[in-house]
Amino acid sequence: MIRSLRLVAGYAERSFLAWMAGRDFLVTLVVNQSITPLIGLAVWSAALPGQTSITTYFLALLVVRLMTVSYEHHTLANHIYTGDLADDLLRPHPLILGWIGDNLAIRLWHAIFALPLVVATAALIGMDVRPAYIGATVPAILFAAILRFLFTYTLALSAFWTERAQGVVGLGGVLTFLLGGEAAPVPLLPATIRPWIAALPFRAMLGFPAELASGSLGREQALAGYGWQLFWTVVLAGLTMLVWRRGMQRYVAVGS
Amino acid sequence: MSAIAAECLTMTYRAPVRPPGLRAALSSLIRRELRDVEAVRDLSFTVDTGEMVGFIGPNGAGKTTTLKMLSGILHPTGGDARVLGFQPWQRTHGFLRRIAMIRGSRPLSAPGELTVLDALRFQKLVYQVSDPDFRRNIDELTEMFDLAPLLDRQVRALSLGERMRGGLACALLYRPEVIFLDEPTIGLDAVATGAIRRFIADYRENTGATILLTSHAMADVEHLCRRVILIDHGTVAYDGNLNELTRRLSPYKLVTITLPNGLRPDLKHLGEVVETEAGRAAFRVPRTTVAAVTTRLLAEFPVADLTVSDAPLETIVAQLYREGHAA
Repeated sequence: MIRSLRLVAGYAERSFLAWMAGRDFLVTLVVNQSITPLIGLAVWSAALPGQTSITTYFLALLVVRLMTVSYEHHTLANHIYTGDLADDLLRPHPLILGWIGDNLAIRLWHAIFALPLVVATAALIGMDVRPAYIGATVPAILFAAILRFLFTYTLALSAFWTERAQGVVGLGGVLTFLLGGEAAPVPLLPATIRPWIAALPFRAMLGFPAELASGSLGREQALAGYGWQLFWTVVLAGLTMLVWRRGMQRYVAVGS
Repeated sequence: MSAIAAECLTMTYRAPVRPPGLRAALSSLIRRELRDVEAVRDLSFTVDTGEMVGFIGPNGAGKTTTLKMLSGILHPTGGDARVLGFQPWQRTHGFLRRIAMIRGSRPLSAPGELTVLDALRFQKLVYQVSDPDFRRNIDELTEMFDLAPLLDRQVRALSLGERMRGGLACALLYRPEVIFLDEPTIGLDAVATGAIRRFIADYRENTGATILLTSHAMADVEHLCRRVILIDHGTVAYDGNLNELTRRLSPYKLVTITLPNGLRPDLKHLGEVVETEAGRAAFRVPRTTVAAVTTRLLAEFPVADLTVSDAPLETIVAQLYREGHAA
C-alpha cells in the first residue's frame, strides 16, 4: 500500500512537471470546464431570482467539475493508439497507478488555475460559506472524483476496440451533462423521473456534491446520496477491471 | 544455463480481409472474413546467460514480435518461452524488474519537461532501487555514458544520440539481467553509433547481462555479437557463429589492391573483378586459392597496398534472404 501511494505520488509529480510545458493549454481546459457551470449559474439565477441555494449550487458545481475532471480519453487512449502502452506494460506495478497519478496532477493544475476564478465568482455572488456544508461536501467530491475517473477510464479503454474512443467518452460527457445535474439540478426535475435520475451514476459524479454544498439536502437524502456513490464506486471499479482485462486480452493478442 | 529459451514460439494474427469495392465493404459488415497472418512460426532457440546474440532478419520477419513476446508485451498463440525462468507474458513484477527492452526509435520515454536526472530518479522509484545502489549505479553510468553534462538538461532539448545515452542509463539503472535491444543505433551518426556500441559491450562485460540485439545495421551485429539468429518469414533461417555464416554463404574472399601511377591492370585471370578504377581494383577469389592468388599478384604487379577481407555482412545477409536458407 505504501509503495502504491509512493508510485502514485511519483507519477503525479512527473505528470505535474510534464504539464508545466502545457500551461497555456491548461488555461483553455480550465475555461472549457468552467463555461457550462457559469452559464448555468447565470441562467438559473435569472430563472429563480433570490434563491441563494441555486447560486451556491452552480458555484459548487464549478468546483466539483474542476476537481473531478478526467482526461483519460486523451492520455490513456493515446497511449493505446501510439503503442506507448507497450512501454507501460514493462513497468513492474499495476498500470492504473500511473493513470491515477496523472489524473491527480492535472486536477492539481486545474485547482491552481481555477482558484482565482472560484474566489472571484464567490465574491461576486456573495456566497454564504457554511463550514458544516463544506465539511459534508468534501468526502462527496472525493467519491465523485473517483467515480468520474473510473467512468472516463473505462470509456477510454474502448480504444482497445475502436479508434474513436474520444467519441465514446464524449457521449459519456453528454450523459453526465444532461443527467448529472448540470443542465438542470436534479432536485428541480419532475418528481416522476427524479428518483430514477438520482439513482444513476451521473448525479453521484457531479450534482450530488453540489447539492450538499448548497444545503438543499436533508440528512436522509445526504446519506442516500452517499449510498449511491458507494454503490456506483463498487460497480464501476468492477466494470473497469473487467473491461481492462478484456482489453488486455485483445492487446496482448494483437499488439499496438 | 539458458537465460532465454523459446520453444516452438508462434504468433498468428487474425487480420480482416475483403475484396475491393463498396459492395464487398458492405457485405463485410455482415460477414466478416478473417485471415490468419503468421508473424512467427515455431521459433525455437536458447540464449545462454551472459551471451550477446544478434537477432536479425528482413522487415516483417518477426523480430520485434518475438522481442515483444519474450518481454511479456504480447501473448503467443502457440509454443512456450522462459526468460530467467519466468513465462514472460505472465508479466510478474519480479520478472519485469529483471529485464529491459530498449527501442532505438523511442529510447527515452520520459516527458520532455523532465531532466535526465528526474527521469533516472523516477526509474529508481519504479524499480525500487535502494539509495546506495542508486548512488553507485548513477556514478557508474555517468562515467560509462558521459552523462554529467546531460543530468540537469531537459529531455526535450536532447539530441537523438543524447536521448539514447539517457535512455540506456535509465534502462540500466536497475541492472537488468536480460536486455532486449531493438535497433539501438537507428538514426545515430557514426560517432554516436560507435559510442553506443562501446557502452553496450562494456555493460555486458561488467555485469554479465544477457543481450538479444536486433539491428538492420549489420555493423552493430558484427561489432557486438559472435552468434546470430537469422529469422525470415517467422522461422529460424540460421542460428550459429557469425564467422561460420560468412564462410558458408560466401565461399569467396574479397581482394583489394592499390597500384601506383593510376595503373589499371587486367586481373580477369586471377578472379572475378567486382570493382576497378585507376590505381585500384577489387576482385573475388575462392577462399581456397587466396594464398596462391595473392602470391601471383605480388609477383606480377607493382602492388602498393593489398587487403583480403570477407564480403560485407549486408551482402551475405541479403543473399540469405534471397535464397531463404543458410545451408
